[in-house]
Amino acid sequence: MQKRTVYNGCSKDGSACSGTGSGTLPACAPLAVPYVPFQDENPEKYEAQAALSNGTLFPGLNLPFRLKVDAPEVANTPLAELQALNFVLNELGLYLDTHCDDAEAFALYQSYRKLEQEGRAAYVAKYGPLTQMDTAEFDRYIWLNDPWPWEGGND
Amino acid sequence: MFQYEKRLQYPVNIKNPNPKLASLIISQYGGPDGELGASMRYLSQRYSMPYPELKGLLTDIGTEELGHLEMVAAIVHQLTKNLTDDQVEESTAFAPYFVDHGVGVYPTAASGFPWSAASIGVKGDPICDLTEDLAAEQKARVTYDNILVLAKDDPDVTDVIRFLREREVVHFQRFGEALKLTKDKLDQKNVYYMNPAFPG
Repeated sequence: MQKRTVYNGCSKDGSACSGTGSGTLPACAPLAVPYVPFQDENPEKYEAQAALSNGTLFPGLNLPFRLKVDAPEVANTPLAELQALNFVLNELGLYLDTHCDDAEAFALYQSYRKLEQEGRAAYVAKYGPLTQMDTAEFDRYIWLNDPWPWEGGND
Repeated sequence: MFQYEKRLQYPVNIKNPNPKLASLIISQYGGPDGELGASMRYLSQRYSMPYPELKGLLTDIGTEELGHLEMVAAIVHQLTKNLTDDQVEESTAFAPYFVDHGVGVYPTAASGFPWSAASIGVKGDPICDLTEDLAAEQKARVTYDNILVLAKDDPDVTDVIRFLREREVVHFQRFGEALKLTKDKLDQKNVYYMNPAFPG
């Protein structure tokens, strides 16, 4: 188990607590509404492959169930590489939806998008279309080629 | 609009068929706390949301849930692929599903109730809808916990379930933050003074 800072709800100096697995609550807040601690800006992050394996980019939000604590090593296939880059964008996108002023996170989003675009172009050229329109890049209509994503064994 | 991408969000490659497990995991396809309900709930709630953060978050999480729906379907499909007559007959857990749906993927709860919009809520009030979403993420997380109790022997399955379960935790966090952003825009003396989705 990773060590976790426990937030006591009222730090004496009123500053945001700093711990990977804790966030900030308002010092004073209206009654009779639910509160979830706000994730602080610039939280600790995994690398892309570890993020995909764990199901989150953020170690502080990685809260597994007792029967499946350890994350698997997702096989390092060309598709999984692209899935990892795309997953980081997906996860950072949700973070930015509620932290749209975190400039560092947005810069990271931009740099991952660049990597993902390069990875996507290379993947499509080598393994085939990811969208129906990608098929226009090929000399015949290979969109229908098996396997389809739900069939397994295709990476 | 939506555009299909010919890949899963996370790899699903199951080697061993297991019709019994398929008949349980189908609940996250069409059960009361499953991914179909999740996507319909969020993608429907967004229309009455008054603030851009809420429109964006519900669109983005609702879209991700459609990807999870496809992953759950992939699990069920691969667990029931290439079954023999004998395997179907011997699986007393899977046989009732098989008689109605064969090896098709049908949105139903493991307990047999077909997917119903009665299991989701769209109230047209941001605090109410986001509170529903917090509860929905918790219910989906517990369903995945329960699936892990039942599926612990096959890592091809539990690796994927662990991923899907963790997404519920992250979504809960984001909905909680969205609720805070919403409250900040309301009357701090009485956040229930009016419904910002229907100011009247």
